[in-house]
Amino acid sequence: MGAPIIELEGVGKTFESRAGATEALRAVSLDVEAGEFVSIIGPSGCGKSSLLRVVSDLVEPSAGTVRVKGKSARQARLDRDYGIVFQTPVLYEWRTVLENVQLPLELAGRPRAEREQRPRALLRLVGLQEFAGHYPWQLSGGMQQRVSIARALALNPSILLMDEPFGALDEMTRERLNQELLQVCAETAATVLFVTHSIAEAVFLSSRIVVMSPRPGRIDRIVTVDRPRPRAEKTRALARFFEVVTEVRQSLREDTGLGDDRTRPGGSITP
Amino acid sequence: MIALIWEAAKALFALPSYQLPHLHEIALDFLREGAGGERWWWIMTQNASYTALESLIGFALGGVTGLVLAIGFAHSRWLERGLLPYVVASQTVPILAIAPMVVVWLGTSWFSKAVIAAYLTFFPVTVNMSRGLRAVDPDALALMRALAASSRQVFFKLRFPAALPYLFTALRLAATASVIGAIVGELPVGSRFGMGVVIINAAQYYNWRPANLWAAILVSAVIGIVFYHAVAAVERRVVAWSRTAPAI
Ligand SMILES: Nc1ncnc2c1ncn2[C@@H]1O[C@H](COP(=O)(O)OP(=O)(O)O)[C@@H](O)[C@H]1O
Ligand SMILES: [Mg+2]
Repeated sequence: MGAPIIELEGVGKTFESRAGATEALRAVSLDVEAGEFVSIIGPSGCGKSSLLRVVSDLVEPSAGTVRVKGKSARQARLDRDYGIVFQTPVLYEWRTVLENVQLPLELAGRPRAEREQRPRALLRLVGLQEFAGHYPWQLSGGMQQRVSIARALALNPSILLMDEPFGALDEMTRERLNQELLQVCAETAATVLFVTHSIAEAVFLSSRIVVMSPRPGRIDRIVTVDRPRPRAEKTRALARFFEVVTEVRQSLREDTGLGDDRTRPGGSITP
Repeated sequence: MIALIWEAAKALFALPSYQLPHLHEIALDFLREGAGGERWWWIMTQNASYTALESLIGFALGGVTGLVLAIGFAHSRWLERGLLPYVVASQTVPILAIAPMVVVWLGTSWFSKAVIAAYLTFFPVTVNMSRGLRAVDPDALALMRALAASSRQVFFKLRFPAALPYLFTALRLAATASVIGAIVGELPVGSRFGMGVVIINAAQYYNWRPANLWAAILVSAVIGIVFYHAVAAVERRVVAWSRTAPAI
């Protein structure tokens, strides 16, 4: 593996508000290599979104350094090095599906030909070519989130940042989109930082799983999943799959003080 | 339906024609010959067109003023804090008191009436639009930031389109208000055309020919209604993407 594409070193983030200060992140250090799929998992409020917002330069860290592709997070944002997917689709309702996917290309001032062709190709990739002329409200939640994934890929970014993109979807839609996402990643060779609160989703998708604990938000352990990607749907049925799921669940239990063995080191599991 | 209630009320309370004329009396008034030899339907049409034109110009003037103020306010809290009190105060002064002054300053031409119409138009546009420009979903803004959009792009591709439903709500209110403004502007002495003048004259001869005033009121109402629906029609086209666009 080459140099890390995302480097976090001693990152801290404290939000000041009238109600007082909240320490959302403390001393978070993490390197993500190019081509990795890293999931961040942890109970709600443990700073997962904050971590993603620090990497995407939507908020500034209070401490530590963030480097993306060897640059500052701000420079990486201005260079449009990453695509981002939020928990809600955040589609502009006055734009059609196609126009929503065109938005990043428009903002970047890309040539007309590219603005016409690339979004159509991306809609095909996420299986929505027939819905190009529809308005967002005419689509189901799962379809809307696929549009937002297509939009995130519009500028062919080398990094994909996703904040619980399937959190609001039903289990079946979620599993289908997991499968699609793996294919998309394989085709685009993007590095992915993926926030989720679903253990099964994290294990199925990731090369590594970052387990976080709350108050203050920090990295508790990192679980490596050595099974090659992209993975087939049947991976979910393997006995080893359940072992890793159990392993991650165990780490999360320990975080919240429910576990029995607090001294076990973070290990690497090969399902 | 309204005609039925109208005539029922007249019969039930035994109202004489100088209180509430028969509907057919009002209808017949349009066919009556006026002092100049022209039929009243033609006199009404001419004056109504005049008023409609003043209202339209006032509506445009007020709409643009309101929009500029709203954009200014959304851009700078400082500007809003400085100007908003005056904008609000301007609307607490009765229009009937202002109209004669404006006519004295600007003359009795169509222009003074358009200005008075604009005076009633700009306020709802300013208030609603500056609210709409601010009421943008934080995630939608975060997306713009993530996409490294310039502030121009954020305005034209996010804030402005997101505020369009707010703008049209204001414009529908302003459409009827602008007609009222133009008519009020025609009331002071010196004006020669418009529904305001027709209403003043009809009121003077009310005891003699009550149907004439009712006819004038009817025509004035029709102008306002047509304006409202014209704006609503444009709204349905422009904000076609919205599920919340009004049906009427
Ligand atoms: N903009 C903000 N202002 C104040 N507090 C915030 C803000 N964003 C997040 N927080 C707080 O920081 C903590 C971590 O939030 P977040 O990163 O959203 O967690 P997660 O995504 O894991 O649920 C929470 O306690 C939350 O209330
Ligand atoms: Mg979150």
